[in-house]
Amino acid sequence: MTIESDDRLDLRGVRCPANAARALVRLESLEAGQVLELTLDDGEPAVLVPESLRLEGHEVLLHERHEDRWILLVRARG
Amino acid sequence: MATTVYLDHASTTPVDAAVIEEMRAALALVGNPSSTHVDGVWAARALELARARVAALLAADPDEVVFTSGGTEANNLALIGACSRGGAPSHLITSAVEHPSVLTACDWLESLGMRVTRLPVDREGFVDPDAVRRALGPDTRLVSIGQANHEVGTIQPVDEIARVCREAGVPFHTDACQSFGRFPVPAGALATVNAHKIYGPKGVGALRVPPGARLAPLLFGGGQERGLRAGTPNLPGIVGFGRAAERIAEEDVNRIRRLRDLLVARVLGGVSGSWLNGSRERRLPGNASLGFEGVSAWDLVRELDRAGIRVSRGSACSSGSTAPSPVLIALGLPAERALGVIRVSLGHGTTQEEIDRAAGAIETAVRKLRQA
Ligand SMILES: Cc1ncc(COP(=O)(O)O)c(C=O)c1O
Repeated sequence: MTIESDDRLDLRGVRCPANAARALVRLESLEAGQVLELTLDDGEPAVLVPESLRLEGHEVLLHERHEDRWILLVRARG
Repeated sequence: MATTVYLDHASTTPVDAAVIEEMRAALALVGNPSSTHVDGVWAARALELARARVAALLAADPDEVVFTSGGTEANNLALIGACSRGGAPSHLITSAVEHPSVLTACDWLESLGMRVTRLPVDREGFVDPDAVRRALGPDTRLVSIGQANHEVGTIQPVDEIARVCREAGVPFHTDACQSFGRFPVPAGALATVNAHKIYGPKGVGALRVPPGARLAPLLFGGGQERGLRAGTPNLPGIVGFGRAAERIAEEDVNRIRRLRDLLVARVLGGVSGSWLNGSRERRLPGNASLGFEGVSAWDLVRELDRAGIRVSRGSACSSGSTAPSPVLIALGLPAERALGVIRVSLGHGTTQEEIDRAAGAIETAVRKLRQA
């Protein structure tokens, strides 16, 4: 099953924790239930970003490595 | 009369209640927005939300927003930053009516060997875009012309000046402190903005740095703000700036302009030997720069203050000095006339009743001072 994303944000090159912060700001601008696709650098971002988003109640639907980057699909919380 | 009438919004605006509320919440955030733990994320979220809001008002990408301690620092960063990237001393173009934070930075750069062209203005305070074109040279590093004048309210043809600069491949900077949120900042320009002119807190501003602009920082340290402004940012101030940027769209500029026009008409009609400085058409909606023959602006400001009416003499930054305003001199006013000019500036809380009271107080005060 493929999930359609409603919006995308490429956070490669954005350092921690600004990457998590930008993802949160973007998610808060979406309607509840909409899906945001994030691209992240490998390493700390791939850990801190999904953990922070989950703590704020957003649902991480997919967290997948593609060579040197990570793709996340996140459903905005209601 | 117990209540006072605040008509000095060009110096600074009262802080909006919603701004104070959001700043209070930001003060309670424990994390440093650079820390890579969850408290850092919460602090960084507040910072990035503010960045997104300020960027939206600038029609810029959030990455282009560099937060500073205010308009003064942003102007210094643009000018000194553009001229201190090494290489041979070069050339800078500005105007004779800029804010002191631009003009004194230019004086400093000149003392370091930079060549500075200070373009004249016409009687209404306008810079001629063709004069900018003629002043450009092969070594021009930057052109800096403010979008709206802080004293006389004249709105410069910045889109045209930006185009002249773009065609010549020279970066253009505009000090947009007075016009931010009221007039769009020219696309692609470096732009200085601050919070305390849009009902936000004092001590916070930003420089919009478009992609490709090459600047050296003024402050070195931990690499915050893309390396252009080191130091832990003033988070509560920045949060307040973000909220203010979001709310400024609600300012009813047409109502402010109408009240301003009413004030100007009453003063010019009721006080002989009075005049309006700047342009009638292309001026900031809240600005009235009014002159009175045979009256010292210093005395007039004092007299109005006693009557509970707060206005400025010239610009707030030079209010302490007794010299005539360089801006008014650049407009061609003789010194004795320039010494009789006050700046009355309205904001979104200004009422018709306040304008009636201010107009009456100005008439009374001028009459009294002329008799003394
Ligand atoms: C046009 C203009 N530029 C710069 C400034 C300086 O900004 P700040 O007070 O935030 O340093 C001001 C006013 O204060 C201003 O009106």
